[in-house]
Amino acid sequence: MADAVLVARDLRKSFKAPRRPPVEAVCGVSMEVRRGEIFGFLGPNGAGKTTTLRMLTTLLPIDSGAATVAGYDVERSPQEVRARIGYVSQLGGSDELATGLENLVLQGRLYGDETSAVRRRVAELIELLELEAFADRTVITYSGGQRRRLDVALGIVHAPEVLFLDEPSTGLDPQNRANLWSHIAALRARGTTVFLTTHYLEEADELCDRLMIIDHGEIVAEGTPRELKRQIAGDTVLLSVRDQDHAAHRAEQRLRTQPYVRELSVDDTTLRLYVEEGASAMIEILRLLDSEGIGIQSLTVAEPTLDDVFLRQTGRSLRDAGQRPETEERRA
Amino acid sequence: MRTPRDIALLYQRYFVQMLRNPVWLVVGFSTPLLYLALFTPLLKHIAGSAGLPGSDVLDGFLPGILALLAFASGSGLGFSTIFELRAGVTERLRVTPASRFAILLGPILSSMTLMFVFDAVLVAAGAAFGFHVHWLGLAVLAVLLGLLMVMMGAFSIATALLTKEISGFAAIVNGINLPVLLLAGVLLPISIGPLWMRVLAHFNPLYYLVAASRLLANGHLSGHQVWQAFAVLVPLCALVLAWATRVFRRAVA
Repeated sequence: MADAVLVARDLRKSFKAPRRPPVEAVCGVSMEVRRGEIFGFLGPNGAGKTTTLRMLTTLLPIDSGAATVAGYDVERSPQEVRARIGYVSQLGGSDELATGLENLVLQGRLYGDETSAVRRRVAELIELLELEAFADRTVITYSGGQRRRLDVALGIVHAPEVLFLDEPSTGLDPQNRANLWSHIAALRARGTTVFLTTHYLEEADELCDRLMIIDHGEIVAEGTPRELKRQIAGDTVLLSVRDQDHAAHRAEQRLRTQPYVRELSVDDTTLRLYVEEGASAMIEILRLLDSEGIGIQSLTVAEPTLDDVFLRQTGRSLRDAGQRPETEERRA
Repeated sequence: MRTPRDIALLYQRYFVQMLRNPVWLVVGFSTPLLYLALFTPLLKHIAGSAGLPGSDVLDGFLPGILALLAFASGSGLGFSTIFELRAGVTERLRVTPASRFAILLGPILSSMTLMFVFDAVLVAAGAAFGFHVHWLGLAVLAVLLGLLMVMMGAFSIATALLTKEISGFAAIVNGINLPVLLLAGVLLPISIGPLWMRVLAHFNPLYYLVAASRLLANGHLSGHQVWQAFAVLVPLCALVLAWATRVFRRAVA
């Protein structure tokens, strides 16, 4: 891919555990991230998201496989990669006893820039991420949302080509989460590629141009949120017919043979149809039932969620799968 | 050069953090002064007996406290490493192109500065109670103390990176500290002990520094213990630094 800013081939990582077989945290992950997109890495806690991210950001040695980030091999040229990426861990990692401004200036200078250039850039970032009100206070006084925005600012103080965000909205309330999302979207508008991990379906759906679903260290699906939802489940149409002349049975017989219907289930007078695209299917369904003289009580279309996608790929709901403690992965 | 600049930045960062954490300053200042205030009076009564030097007890005791202070300041650094690991600070620094050696050395040199301030207070307080100040000897001793501090700091930080949690780290550091301190003659000279102790002490790097510190503090720059201390500490310090930098580079922090 010509405009790929990140290419990973068959990444693997396992961790030794005392008196137990090694834990295969990442088993053969390959991916390509395009310049300027928001790429989501979705999966339950302990699926291998953070481990993959830490390999891509030079923090963790790669067992086997290879990755190129911003044009440089992660294992062979870590310094070149580090200069071109930003990374915001789940923990953030700002200095609590320093002010936001001090944190930002130090971080900028660690990337080798002169103080005057760093100060100009930091002033821009304070405006961009709306830190003005508290940039001069020590970080220990910040709220969760303020701290998160500072963390993101720390990650982009050197204008990286790729910004890695590990679970950026964990621990934020809905309002702060929405606020953070709008800031992340603003970064993309300025040309920064964003690679984020999340176990929030809404986040992946709302924010990501493309995403990949990982479970037990393996990629189970990949595509745009829309593609993923369509390729796996299509749309769901709920049809309710009038309870007369075995209408439900007759409707089922006729609909089952239609090419646009993938799956169909009946519950009393309600038919649940999985179709490729809801809007066009509805017209066909209306025509068919009208010609058959079957009365319709209601007809609604529901888009599948990413949870349907996850359920379909792994046999578990993401919400249930998320119950495993994050420490499994953090043991890295 | 990238590394000196990074060392300066990270030195400054750590120093500001220390100054804003007054608890550390209070503990740092009070520990050596407490030794001085609460241990010296005991020595006064046994000086001259049991093979102890009979002259001013502080001349023999204060250098040991300086060595103890360098040893403890260094080996305590790992505690803040564990804190920074848990807060994600280490990771934030490691993902930048900053020199790994600088990430290691910045905090060590920063704490060393503070240690020399404590040392100066200790010497001043000691002088008021009869400690004889020999400037040149103290200057050479400062170099030795600096080496010890770098060695212990690097060892402590690397151990913290490898153990990753406070209980494992504390067990290792405390397990090493106590025998090393007791076998170095920090509080009382090993020379008054039995033969097996005196033999065993020769395998303890800190023993050489404590022996040299007593000579240097009393103005003897040419004693063979002084050269021995340098001969032991310089290579050991280099070795530990190299190992700790390696740990920083590879450690799954």
